[in-house]
Amino acid sequence: MILYIFTILFLLFVSPLLLGIIKSVKMFLLYKKPVSIFQPYYQFSKLLIKESIISTESSHITRVAPYLVLSPLVVVLFFLPPIFSGAFYVGFVDAFTIIGLISLSTFFLMLLGLDSGNSFGGIGSSREAFISSLVEPAMVLTVFCIGLMAKDLGIANASINLSEHFPKEYMASYLFSGISFFILLLAENGRLPVDNPETHLELTMVHEAMILDLSGFYLLLIELASSVKFVIFSSMFVSLFMPFGLGFSPLIAFVIFIAKMVFVALLVALIEVNGAKLRLFKVPNLLGVSIVLAFLSLISFYVLGN
Amino acid sequence: MFIFDNLSLLFVALILLGSIPNLFYMFGYLIHIERKGYFLTHYFAFIISMIGVVIANNVIVFLLCWELMSLTSWQLLLSDSKQKNISKIAQFYFIMTHLGFVFILLFFLIVSNGNLENSSFEALKDGASSFAYPTLLFVFASLGFLSKAGVVPLHVWLPYAHPKAPSPVSALMSGVMLKVAIYAMIRFLFDVLYPWPLEWGITILMLGSISSLVGVLYALSEHDIKALLANHSIENIGIILIGFGMGMIFDTLGLKTLSSFAFIASLFHVFNHMSFKSLLFMGAGSVLFATHTKNMEKFGGLIKAMPVTAWTFLLASISISALPPTNGFLSEWMIFQSLLNSDVINHLELKLSIPFAIFSLALTGGLAIACFVKAYGITFLGLHRSTNAKHAKEVNLLMSFGMVLMSLVVLSLMIFAPFYIKYFDMAVSDFNHISVYKEIFPTHIYSLHAIGSHGGIVSPLILVAMLMFITTLIYIAGKLLKVKTRVHHSWACGYKTGHTTQYSATGFAGPIRRLFMWLYKPDIKLKRVSIQREETTFDESFFEVHVKPLFQRSLYDSTAKIVNKISYFIYRFAHFEQTRYSAMILTLLVSVLFSYRLFIGEFSWISLFFEFVMVSFIFRVLIVGDKR
Repeated sequence: MILYIFTILFLLFVSPLLLGIIKSVKMFLLYKKPVSIFQPYYQFSKLLIKESIISTESSHITRVAPYLVLSPLVVVLFFLPPIFSGAFYVGFVDAFTIIGLISLSTFFLMLLGLDSGNSFGGIGSSREAFISSLVEPAMVLTVFCIGLMAKDLGIANASINLSEHFPKEYMASYLFSGISFFILLLAENGRLPVDNPETHLELTMVHEAMILDLSGFYLLLIELASSVKFVIFSSMFVSLFMPFGLGFSPLIAFVIFIAKMVFVALLVALIEVNGAKLRLFKVPNLLGVSIVLAFLSLISFYVLGN
Repeated sequence: MFIFDNLSLLFVALILLGSIPNLFYMFGYLIHIERKGYFLTHYFAFIISMIGVVIANNVIVFLLCWELMSLTSWQLLLSDSKQKNISKIAQFYFIMTHLGFVFILLFFLIVSNGNLENSSFEALKDGASSFAYPTLLFVFASLGFLSKAGVVPLHVWLPYAHPKAPSPVSALMSGVMLKVAIYAMIRFLFDVLYPWPLEWGITILMLGSISSLVGVLYALSEHDIKALLANHSIENIGIILIGFGMGMIFDTLGLKTLSSFAFIASLFHVFNHMSFKSLLFMGAGSVLFATHTKNMEKFGGLIKAMPVTAWTFLLASISISALPPTNGFLSEWMIFQSLLNSDVINHLELKLSIPFAIFSLALTGGLAIACFVKAYGITFLGLHRSTNAKHAKEVNLLMSFGMVLMSLVVLSLMIFAPFYIKYFDMAVSDFNHISVYKEIFPTHIYSLHAIGSHGGIVSPLILVAMLMFITTLIYIAGKLLKVKTRVHHSWACGYKTGHTTQYSATGFAGPIRRLFMWLYKPDIKLKRVSIQREETTFDESFFEVHVKPLFQRSLYDSTAKIVNKISYFIYRFAHFEQTRYSAMILTLLVSVLFSYRLFIGEFSWISLFFEFVMVSFIFRVLIVGDKR
C-alpha cells in the first residue's frame, strides 16, 4: 500500500522530467545546445512564485476549470497498472472510465479556452474539439481490442494478464493495436504530427492557444496536467504493449519501467525531429489510419481467434 | 383497461420525474404566454394523456391517449403563434405524427383481428402469432412508434417542431414524449411480437447507430440553441436503440443475462436522457426568456448574469456528453459494455459488424463533447455578443427552482443508480427475462459490474469522492501557497478586447463541418464590403452557414417532387380526348395477351424483350404523344 502511494507520487513528480527529456533530446538532435532535462522543474517553480493574472472578461470558470483539468488526470494515476508484480493496484477500473476521465479534463480545458473572450482561446478549443472527437472512436476500439486479447477490460488487470500470457497467437492484431495506440498517444498529448507544443503561431497551435491567457499558478496546473497526461499515456503504452520485466524483484522492475518510459519519450522525440506538423485538415487522415488499424486488429482477432 | 405492471409504473415514474420540476418552471414561464387558460388546459391534458398511454391495457384506450398526446402537443406548439413559419411547421408535425398513427392503427387492426374493444394486450399475442408475416407487423410498429421517437429517417420534423414550442413544452416533448414512444415500442415488442427473428434486432441496432451519428452531426452545425438540443434528442434516442437492439440480438441468440443487461442499460439511458434533456431545454428556455433570441451568435457571457442557469446547464452538459462520473456516463458505459459482450456471439459475420456500432457510438460520444463545449462555451462564456445578452437578468424564482429540482433528479440518477437499476431489473425480469441485479451489484452497491466474461467495473460514488478529494487537495495547496492574483484585460494582440474578437458558434464547428462537408452540403452566404475593390482589405463582412438536413432534401423534397410529377401525368391521362382512351384500351389488351404467355409458362427472354419494346412503343406513340 505504501508502495502504491509512492508509485503515484513518483509518477506525478517524474512527469515533467519526461517532457524535459523529450525537449533536450530534440535539441541535441537538431545540433542545438540542449537544455537541462530538469528545465520543466525550473519553469514550474518559477510559475509558483509568479502572480497569476486573471482576465476581466473571464468568469468563475477560469478560476475553477484549472483544478478540474488536473484532478481527473490525477485520479487516473490511481488506476494505472502496477510497475512490478505483487504490488497493490486498483484492477477493477476499466478503460472506458479512464478514457472518460481524460475527456472530462479535456472538456474543462476547452471551456477554459472559450472563457477569456480571446480569439486564440476559441481557435484552440475548436481545434481540440475537432481532434479529440476523432480520437475517441479509435481509442475505444483499440482499448476494446487489447481488452479482448488480455481477456479483461480493466487496464491494470489486462496488463497483468498480458505479462503472464503474452498473446503470441494474435501477434498481428497486437501489433496493429500497438501502432494505433501510439498514434493516439501522439494525438492526445499534442505531439508533433498533430500539434506543435513549441510554437506560438496562431496557424499551428492547438493546446497552447487554449491556455494563452493563463499565468502563474493556473498555468502551472495546466502544464502539470499536460505532463501527467503524457505519463498516463506512456505508462499505459509500456504496460500494455511492452508487458515484460514485471516479474523481477521490485527494484529491478522499477528500473526497467523507467527505462521503458524513457524509451517512449525518445521515440516521441525522434518522430518529432523527423516529421513535420500535419495541416489541421490532414489530421483526420492520421487518425483515420489509427481507426482502420484498430478495426483491422479487431477483425484479425475475430477471424483467427477462438 | 389499465395495467400497472413494473414497466408501466416505471414509465409513470419517468413522466412524473420529468413533469414535476417542469411544473414549477412552467408557472414561472407563464408570464410569457398570451392565452394562459388555453395553454394550461392543453399542458395538463398533455401530461395526463402521456400517463394514459403508459398505463393503457386496451387498444382503444391506448389509441385515444396516443392521439390526445399528439393533438395536445400540436396545440401547445401553436400556442406561441407569433413565430416565423409556425403554422407550416405545426402542419408538418401534424402530418408526420398522423402518418405514424396510420401505421399504428394498421398494426392494431391486424393483431386484434378487428376486435379492438375488449382485447387486453396479452390477447393480442394470439393475433400476432397467427398472422403469417410477423415482419410486416414489426415494420408497421417501428414506422408508427419510431416516427414519434424521431429515428432517422423519420426524424425530420423533430428539429423543426420541438424548438418552436414554448420552452417548458419543448422540455416535456423532448424529455418525456419521446420516451413514451420508446415505451410503446418496448411494450409491443415484448408483449405482442415476442419471439424476435435476428433481423429485427439488427435493424434496430442499425437504426440506432445511424440516428446517433446523424443527430449529433446536425446538432453540431446548428446555431439555434433549441434546435441543437432537439437534434441531440435524435442522437440520444439512437443510443437508447443501440442498447435495445443489442438486447434483442442477445435475446434471439439465447444469451439471456446479456440481453437483460442491455435492456437495463437502455432503460437507464431513457431515464438519464429524460433528466438532462429536460434540464437543458429549461436552461435554453431561460436564456431565451432573458435574451429574447435563440440564436447562439447573439449570446455570450451569460454566466455572470445568470449563475443558476449556467451552473445547472453545465451539469447537464457534462452529463449528456457522457463524462464520468455523471449518470449519462453510467448508462453509456453500460451500453458500451453490452456491445463489447458481442465477442461471445457465435456468428462471425454478426460479430464482425458490431464493431461498427461501437465505432458510431464512440464517435457520437466524441462529437457530443465538441457540441456541448460549443453550446456551453458560446452561450455562457466569453463576452456578450449583443445588447440583448448584455442586459440579460437571471430568471424568476420559480423557473430557477424548477431547474434546480431537475438538476437534483440528474444527481439522484447518478448517486442512487443502484436503486433505479433495481427497478429497471424488475421491469425487465417481468418479461421472461432473468433478473441480473445480483450480478450487476454482486457484493455491495458501490460498484457497478458489467456482465460478461471479462467485463469491467465502474463505481460512480468512488469516482465522485476521489475527484472531490483530489480537487480539494489541489485547491488547498493553492491556498497554502498564497497565490497572488491580479485582474486585467485579456490580451487581444494590442487591440481592445471586444465581443467581435471572440470565436463564434459557426467558427467553432468549422473544422468538423469541413470534415463532414459531403453530408452537410451547406449553403454559405458571404457578403463583403471591400475597400477600393481589394480582395483582402474589407470594411465589413458577413458570413453565415445554413445547413438543411440531407434527409429532408433527398427523402422528403424529392418524394414530393416525384409525387407531383406522377400526379401531373395522371392528370394528363384523365384529360385525354377519346381517341387516346381507345389507344389505352388497345395497349392494355396487348399487354394482357403478352403477359398471358408468361403465366402459362411459355417464356423466353427474347420474346419478353420484343414484347416489352412493342408495348412501350405503342404507349409512347399513341398515349404520350408529342410533348407539349
